[in-house]
Amino acid sequence: MKADIEPRHGRTTKLAALVVAALLAVTFPLWAGDLYQLHLAALIAAFWILIGGLNLVIGYTGQLSIGHVGLLAVGAYTFAILAGTLGLHPALAVGAAGALCGLVGLLLGLPSLRLPGFYFAMATMAVALIVGEFIMANDELTGGGIGLAVPALPAPFDSPAGFYYLALALAALVTWFSWNVARQMWGRGLIAIRDNPVTAQSVGVPVFRAKLKVFVFSGITAGVAGAVFASLQSYITPDTFVFELSLFFFVCIIIGGRGSIVGPLIGTVILTALPELVAPLAKLGNFFYGLLLLAVVLLVPEGIGRVFEVIAERLRPRRVESVPVSPDLRRLARALGTQR
Amino acid sequence: MWSVIVSGLATGALFAATALVYNVMFSTSKVLSITTGHIAMLGGVFGAYFISGLGMPWIVGLLGAVVVGAAFGWLTDVLAIRRVLARSDEHLWLLSTLALATMVQQSVALWWGTEPKPFPRLIPQDFSAGIADQKFWLPIGMAIVMALGLELFYRRTMYGKLFVAMSEDAFAARARGVPTDRIRSLSYVIAGAMGALAGFAAGQLTFAYFALGLTLTLNGFIALAVGGLGSNVGALIGGAALGLLNAFSSYYVGGEFQQTISVGLLMLILLLKPEGLLGSKSIRAV
Repeated sequence: MKADIEPRHGRTTKLAALVVAALLAVTFPLWAGDLYQLHLAALIAAFWILIGGLNLVIGYTGQLSIGHVGLLAVGAYTFAILAGTLGLHPALAVGAAGALCGLVGLLLGLPSLRLPGFYFAMATMAVALIVGEFIMANDELTGGGIGLAVPALPAPFDSPAGFYYLALALAALVTWFSWNVARQMWGRGLIAIRDNPVTAQSVGVPVFRAKLKVFVFSGITAGVAGAVFASLQSYITPDTFVFELSLFFFVCIIIGGRGSIVGPLIGTVILTALPELVAPLAKLGNFFYGLLLLAVVLLVPEGIGRVFEVIAERLRPRRVESVPVSPDLRRLARALGTQR
Repeated sequence: MWSVIVSGLATGALFAATALVYNVMFSTSKVLSITTGHIAMLGGVFGAYFISGLGMPWIVGLLGAVVVGAAFGWLTDVLAIRRVLARSDEHLWLLSTLALATMVQQSVALWWGTEPKPFPRLIPQDFSAGIADQKFWLPIGMAIVMALGLELFYRRTMYGKLFVAMSEDAFAARARGVPTDRIRSLSYVIAGAMGALAGFAAGQLTFAYFALGLTLTLNGFIALAVGGLGSNVGALIGGAALGLLNAFSSYYVGGEFQQTISVGLLMLILLLKPEGLLGSKSIRAV
């Protein structure tokens, strides 16, 4: 249960902002300038399906997975092979992609989540490279370096707007799931694991199982995201899933701030859209992401959101009300008296 | 068969050298830097640039590459380590070195190009030399010399002893008047020079290629974890074992699953003997 600390007006502004943002997202196809913007918005939604799940792993539990692009690739290829080559119904293929990636997440998490920070990061990075190797090696299945055409989704989702709504709905679902996890006791437990695993264990948080469950969840979302992403791209090659894409996911979360859902969401929207809208940034690409990550780590490790909080505190200092507590000595004496 | 063994040992020597570079940085700062492989990549790329691009004699090219590596090592300390170690969050150095590694890799990709370019021959030798080829023996010799030099440095020189003292207990060393910040900077400079030397010596094996860094970071780390964190002999053994395993698996199974097999080795060692073959057990205070 969340204690009611925030002042009323703060919550209403937050709610209003949320409603406005949701309205903007839902009506986007009506006022979007061209099809490319709609494509970009669908891409943001597809990325957010992955990042929303990954956020629980990185932002809340503090497990620095830098290999989720491997899971994205597994999801994308599963969808492409099942729905394209084998002709399965696309909805089933999306589900299968999610399930398979959840399984991969389980198999990967079982050994690697026991390892300390750097070892875990290296193990996940290795998975990204291994997936690339497998795709290149099994070329009769995956098309190797040539790639694979991905079928479009059936009727209501084959138009750009329909596809956008599907991606948006999935993204909203993931957001809702992760918000449910984050605000309950679960989320507190995860944050405790991030901040001090020993303490978390000593107060009864099942450290390894909590990590594993969250990691498997992020695997499932990565698989679904992969399927949506592949269908959006309509053609996938191993070069689509470069390791730097992992870094991009990572930067979105770190910049948005760890232990928050809105922050990484805004980070995803801005970082996906920015290189597309500002041409010189697209050329620099990963250099820009690296620079951004370095700047955030050195200057505001809590995320960009912290900057706004500091500014807001300057503009409108929070009033700290002191609540004097006067001891009820007579009641205490009575209580002590009855005890004796 | 001999060619498989020799080429495996040569790749293994490069992994071992990378593991040694990890060790040098780890000893003073307790940081495992993601830039480790990228230092070696810089050594190879700049060596090729100085010798083939600018037409310098190879000894000048070697010196230039080592200077570039040392400068990058120093830069790593200044940008990614110094401020981050002042805060006590243990994950932050992972992020800052990852950021720096990405920036370096992307800069090299933009400037040098994304194609692997050939590294010049250093010693005049016929290309038909087979297993006596310099591209195999240079990295092997370099790794052995580097490990011996490091051991001498740790045992015989004052600065080496300061490194050991800091790796035992940095706070105690500071209390005894060791300028820990300067020593850490020095260790990063030395690590940068060593990494560039390794990349330079193995240049004919790996080519001057911008994406080498990440692979080396991973494989050098596997060699380190297999041999035992902090142990230089362990790094040599781990590197050789990993290189041989890679060579034999690509000889018998095919080259497609190299990464999978290396990571399998890592997982196996971590399950059976988490501290590595020669590492010291760390006891965590609770």
